[in-house]
Amino acid sequence: MILQIDRNIYSDSCISKVVYWLSDQYTIERRMEGCNEILQIEGVADEHSFKNLFFEKLNDFKLRGIIENETKDIRTILYAKAFGDFDDITEEVITE
Amino acid sequence: MKNYTLLPFNFTRLLGKEVLVNELGDMLITPIGTANKIVEHSINNEELYKSLVANFFISEELLPSLLDIYASRLRLKKSFLDDRTALHIFVLTLRCNQNCIYCQASSREEGSKHCSMTYKMMEQSVHLMFRSHSPSLTMEFQGGEPSLEPTLIKYGIELAEEINQKECRDISYVLCTNCRNLTDDLLELCKRYHVLISTSLDGPSYIHNKNRGREDSYEKTIAGIQKARMILGDEAVSALMTTSELALDYPKEIVDEYVQDGFTDIFLRALNPYGLASENENWEYYNERFVAFYKAALDYIIYLNKQGTFFREVYASIILRKMLTPYTTGFVDLQSPAGTVNSVLIYNYDGYVYASDESRMLAENGDYTFRLGKISDKYEDIVYGEKVRNMGKIWANEALAGCSDCPVKAYCGADPVRHHSTQGDMYGFRPSSFVCKKNKAIIEYLISLLIERGDEVMPIFRSWLR
Repeated sequence: MILQIDRNIYSDSCISKVVYWLSDQYTIERRMEGCNEILQIEGVADEHSFKNLFFEKLNDFKLRGIIENETKDIRTILYAKAFGDFDDITEEVITE
Repeated sequence: MKNYTLLPFNFTRLLGKEVLVNELGDMLITPIGTANKIVEHSINNEELYKSLVANFFISEELLPSLLDIYASRLRLKKSFLDDRTALHIFVLTLRCNQNCIYCQASSREEGSKHCSMTYKMMEQSVHLMFRSHSPSLTMEFQGGEPSLEPTLIKYGIELAEEINQKECRDISYVLCTNCRNLTDDLLELCKRYHVLISTSLDGPSYIHNKNRGREDSYEKTIAGIQKARMILGDEAVSALMTTSELALDYPKEIVDEYVQDGFTDIFLRALNPYGLASENENWEYYNERFVAFYKAALDYIIYLNKQGTFFREVYASIILRKMLTPYTTGFVDLQSPAGTVNSVLIYNYDGYVYASDESRMLAENGDYTFRLGKISDKYEDIVYGEKVRNMGKIWANEALAGCSDCPVKAYCGADPVRHHSTQGDMYGFRPSSFVCKKNKAIIEYLISLLIERGDEVMPIFRSWLR
């Protein structure tokens, strides 16, 4: 089975995550053709169901990617505030 | 279009609902499409909007004014890290007086030689335990069958008590025993030092005896439980079961056995791939059947609670505590960073320190990957050594492929030892990981119950967390 995915819509990271989760059941070969990524998938019994599953996962990871990008700074601040020991950091320590 | 900032969260879909989980593990059950609406700033349901703000999914300011509270709650979720290792397991011997068909500890015959801890090793181990900064220490005696070494138990406890005169830690003691050999002297020692008894009961006699390889095992265990309760009190005796392949067909009968024996909880534990149990031929099939067994048993436990019998499933309670309260648990298998070393250390009869109970089980099969050093080594060389530093790179599920973007990671944990033993790689490959499949199935089942039968199960689940 061959799937063509527009890389302007779905990023490499997004496709990689879907491929990761399906790679215990299928052999997936990836290559670029212009702006499209071509996925050749071995071991698919029901192509229609597979395509639905693939794009559902793809859309979910795309949405997660947007959330992650938009929240990465606040997450960094949150973890720094939660676990950073700022009380011990003095001006002298910083300038050393 | 509402003006707000997104806060970190993830989502999954179950039973026609979208389940949103934030960085703290707080969960909201919402209509399908909510995550997309949040991202598009098109939430038009005012009640949902307020809920998203109140529960740290979105913020009306660039930096939430309650950021300090948000950070405090995150710190509380990871508070098991504050004090370092609290659970210290002393494997006194491999000698055992049973022949369990799934023995994970590679136990040996009762009369075997050279497989018990020496007094010197016990002394060094107790001193190492006190090097941990934890204000609470649990000294747990395991085997084999540790009650076959009663004088070693006595020596260890008395030494710990002596050292603790100065250290002033909160020490508790646990004896993991099959209850066949609970002598009056041993129980007297347990009474004097408030030692808790943790025994193994796999269910009714036809399951327990078959699993334990002795026709009288059930009777002896029940008699031992009764004797221990009489001397130490009901609260001092707990039991654990291990789900053998035979047990998979009897979820209701096993729960009934525990209720009948006066227990108020049960820990439905799957087999682990160590020792004899590792010879299981089809783990995938076992895993699927275990999840079905777990669901059936949990449903029955909920039914019993509805009928007025307070009875708790421990694994569900651990996950629910993470899901429904601001707190975490001390349960080492569901922690991130992993419980290995951070929460538990093993002092083995062979004179070495291991990263977890499973690590010393692997060592019996010649795999010393998680042997951290000798009992006689310096504490710092053991817990900050190269092996632990390497494990530290892969023991947080927030940083693992397949885990980091998992919607339910807040309720799960990292398990490098299990992945090493089942997949030959500490990092682990989540799509085929039995640990991942089992944990995800159970976590999602609990969420499904909250979605489908929330009004019915929530009061029961809350009662388990009190």
